[in-house]
Amino acid sequence: MTLSERLPPTTRRVELHTAEEINRRIELETDSRVARLAARFPMSRYEDRLQELDAEWDVERVLQANASTLALGGVLLGALVDRRFLALPTAVFGFLAMHAVQGWCPPIPVIRRLGVRTAHEIGRERHALKVLRGDYDGIPAADSAEPGDRVRAALEAVDR
Amino acid sequence: MTPTHEGAGTQAGAWKSRGFDERSADERIADELERCARLGTPAASERLHELDHEWDTDRVIETEVAMVGLVGLALGAFWRRELLVLPALVAANMLVHARTGHYPLSPVLRRLGFRTAREIERERHALKALRGDYSPDDTPAPASRGAPGQSPATDGGKPSELH
Repeated sequence: MTLSERLPPTTRRVELHTAEEINRRIELETDSRVARLAARFPMSRYEDRLQELDAEWDVERVLQANASTLALGGVLLGALVDRRFLALPTAVFGFLAMHAVQGWCPPIPVIRRLGVRTAHEIGRERHALKVLRGDYDGIPAADSAEPGDRVRAALEAVDR
Repeated sequence: MTPTHEGAGTQAGAWKSRGFDERSADERIADELERCARLGTPAASERLHELDHEWDTDRVIETEVAMVGLVGLALGAFWRRELLVLPALVAANMLVHARTGHYPLSPVLRRLGFRTAREIERERHALKALRGDYSPDDTPAPASRGAPGQSPATDGGKPSELH
C-alpha cells in the first residue's frame, strides 16, 4: 500500500470532512438542477450549463484565494508592523497543509455551508448532463469492436 | 517503454516513480484505457480507485506552498528578516494560481506527471463509459440514491464510497 493510498482520496477528502447533512444538501441541489434541466429545457441549454460548470469556482480555488490573501497580509503586517503578526501566516500555512493532505481546515465548514462544491461534485453534474444529452450513446459494446476503437469513441464522448 | 506489471493498474505509479515520461498525457490516458478495455471490468474498477487517490495539481501546489511558506516564516522570524519574502512570494503565487490558473512551478509538476483534476476526471469518465456505466441496456452498476431520471449513472459502481 502506497502512502497516497493510506491518505484520504483526493476526490473525496473534503466531503469526508463535511457534515453529512451539508453533503446531502449539495447533492440534492445538484440532482434537482439536473432534473429541472432535463424536464423543462431544450438541448441547446445544456451547452450553456456546461460552460457555467467550467467557470464555477470549486473548493480548492476558493480556499487557495482565501489562504493566500490572508497569508500575504499576515507576512506584510509581520514584516512592517509587528513581528507577532507572523502567527497569522503560520496558522494559515499550517491549515493549508492539513487541508491538502487530509481534507479539513477551519474555513471548510463555512465554505461548504455556502454551497461551494468540490471539483468532483461539479464533475458529477457535468457528466450527468452529458449522459442526458446522449454524448455517451455512440460507444460500441465490448463484444462488437476493437478495444482501441472503443477507447477512441469513449474519449471523444468525454471531450464532446 | 514497457512498464512493469506488478498487478492491475500500477503503470501510472511506476511511471511516476521514475519521475519522467516521454509520452504525452493524452497517449498515457489512451494506453491506460486500452489496457483496461482489454482486461475488463475488474481492471477498470481498480483503475477508478487509483484515480480517486491520485494527487492532482491543486493538492500538490497547496502542499508545496504550505511547506515552503512555513520554512520561509521560520527562517524569516528567527534568522534573517529578509527571508520573509519567501512566504510572501509563495502566497502571491498561489493567489495568482487561484485567479488565473498560472503557477510558476507548473512545468515542473507536469514533467513529474501530475495532472489537473480535470484531466483525471477525463480518464475517469472515459473509463466509466467503457465499463458500460452509461449504456442504457446493460447496467452493471448498482442503482444510486438518485430518483429515476436523475442520471444515476455517474454514481455507479462505487457503493462503498460516499457516492
